[in-house]
Amino acid sequence: MEFDLEDPLTGVAAAAWEDEEEKGEVGLCPADSAAALFAAEPDHVCAAGKLGEDAALRRDAVAALLQAQVGCSVDPFVVYLATNYVDRFLSREAIPGDKPWIARLLAISCLSLACKMKKVDFSIADFQAEEGFIYDGQTIRRMELLVLRALNWRMRSITPFSFLRFFLALFRPADPPLLAALKSRASEIVFRSQNGETNQQNSSLFASVIETLSRSLIAEIKLLGCKPSAVAASALLTASHELFPVQFPTFRDAISLCSYLNKEELWECSVTMGELAAMDGCDGALAASSCCDTPVTVLRRYHHRNCSSSESESTAFAGGATAAADRDLKKRRIGGVTGEYCSVFLRPPADKI
Amino acid sequence: MEKYEKLEKVGEGTYGKVYKAKDKTTGQLVALKKTRLEMDEEGIPPTALREISLLQMLSKSIYVVRLLCVEHVDKNGKPMLYLVFEYLDTDLKKFIDSHRKGPNPGPLPTQVIQSFLYQLCKGVAHCHSHGVLHRDLKPQNLLVDKQKGILKIADLGLGRAFTIPLKSYTHEIVTLWYRAPEVLLGATHYSTGVDMWSVGCIFAEMVRRQALFPGDSELQQLLHIFRLLGTPTEEQWPGVSCLRDWHEFPQWKPQNMARAVPTLDPDGVDLLSKMLQYDPAGRISAKAAMDHPYFDSLDKSQF
Repeated sequence: MEFDLEDPLTGVAAAAWEDEEEKGEVGLCPADSAAALFAAEPDHVCAAGKLGEDAALRRDAVAALLQAQVGCSVDPFVVYLATNYVDRFLSREAIPGDKPWIARLLAISCLSLACKMKKVDFSIADFQAEEGFIYDGQTIRRMELLVLRALNWRMRSITPFSFLRFFLALFRPADPPLLAALKSRASEIVFRSQNGETNQQNSSLFASVIETLSRSLIAEIKLLGCKPSAVAASALLTASHELFPVQFPTFRDAISLCSYLNKEELWECSVTMGELAAMDGCDGALAASSCCDTPVTVLRRYHHRNCSSSESESTAFAGGATAAADRDLKKRRIGGVTGEYCSVFLRPPADKI
Repeated sequence: MEKYEKLEKVGEGTYGKVYKAKDKTTGQLVALKKTRLEMDEEGIPPTALREISLLQMLSKSIYVVRLLCVEHVDKNGKPMLYLVFEYLDTDLKKFIDSHRKGPNPGPLPTQVIQSFLYQLCKGVAHCHSHGVLHRDLKPQNLLVDKQKGILKIADLGLGRAFTIPLKSYTHEIVTLWYRAPEVLLGATHYSTGVDMWSVGCIFAEMVRRQALFPGDSELQQLLHIFRLLGTPTEEQWPGVSCLRDWHEFPQWKPQNMARAVPTLDPDGVDLLSKMLQYDPAGRISAKAAMDHPYFDSLDKSQF
């Protein structure tokens, strides 16, 4: 009965009356399901421009939600859904600039709605106590209704997670362990594309990082404005490029042939995701006190990008690597998908060349 | 709610009063359905939230009545929810009635029956493909746009939040005429077949202009069914004698289905008998029904 982000179009409202196997007969057949998903998607896209204006407010709301994930062990998918509500709310509503407190209220209300959709028990009181802010029940109820109204009760969000299964079906070989690894890494990237900015806050003392941050913020907001299907496809391509470089070209070509995707949009989304990954790489490099765009790092990135195939392959078999080697490998892996990697990744549409 | 001007009460829905109303700014006619859902300490009740968002998703199909928005009003500090639907001027019950006792009574044109049944199957297939059962399909719940010849499914998807009642809140008895035999016999697990049984009853009613099985109690309802289709046997319907409310019933032999719907062509009779199969597992699905030869003479491109 609860809402499944990976399967937003199937209401299992009839579950109590049906056996599990009967429920299977009821669901959408894959082709119909894909068509319906892509058709419903436009109602769920955020307005990047509007989100950019409310970037500070969004950051505070997302920080509060991540706090719930860490502090109150709320399921990441619930937090993802709540953040999606926040973004769609901010896309549609004008927030008066003199009400910074609204970010937390919005976060709590969206979290409460997401928990109800996902059928998760969650104590707002505990969360508020943990966070040290107290809104009374009536205020939260009113905010819930404001959110519902702004989203026109479209609470069964279509997100990149909804498309993973569809695109994964294009990956060859269709080997369950490979698909599981790919899906898991792509999911990480999707999570990261929604709330990654806040992960970097602890290092914001460095001026260069602040600059990177604002650039990463811009990239992130841009990604939020992408269609969920394009984000899903880009995340899977990124994951495949990292994990299964040998299979990557075939996968890339299969996804490029998907008639539902707009190639230009996919390309731009991939580029943005690449930029974000590149900045992540920077963040990693910062630990070694190096600046983001020194010739060395650029060169290293370039080098690793060109060698990433063979290296990633060896990664898969490097069972006994030491922790230090792992770190190094991770850094290089990130390097492998940075910079102008998009040109390997997808050919730009003709007018971009 | 000041946005709307209530024009008249158009019905007592199973779940509450329904008003015809006008959007004061746009002039658009809407159907206002008051729900009895009240907000409690926890805000919007989770089941209502899930049901309404499901309804919102399903109402994207043109064969399902569109949920335009959800309004809330404060009543003594408690918000009450109103569902705002598109307004259609009539329903299939009134439409059939007008052909039975209107100024110039006469059968429903064959093409109309075909077209309405096809649209009904399409709407039901849409709901089923999204994992949603209607469970209370009846002519009153099928709204009709006479001008455009469109039929849409209403009163959908609220099964959970509102629970399917035996009596509506006005104590009006909920009709049993369209209820599938497995439900009447107390099956605890039922599936899409319950809706297809109702579709069959509605099909026959369009042809006959009167209900096929007009029972006034659960037992009478079963006896009506058994008299036409014969008392079900274990061979026909494996497991029937294990259902909770199964008793030793009088033994009837199946009658010729065509005699119940004399004006229906043989393809139509075949489709009807596939919808009224006793064994729910053997009952035709909405999707398969759409491909039945009965619809061969229908121009499907218009749907």
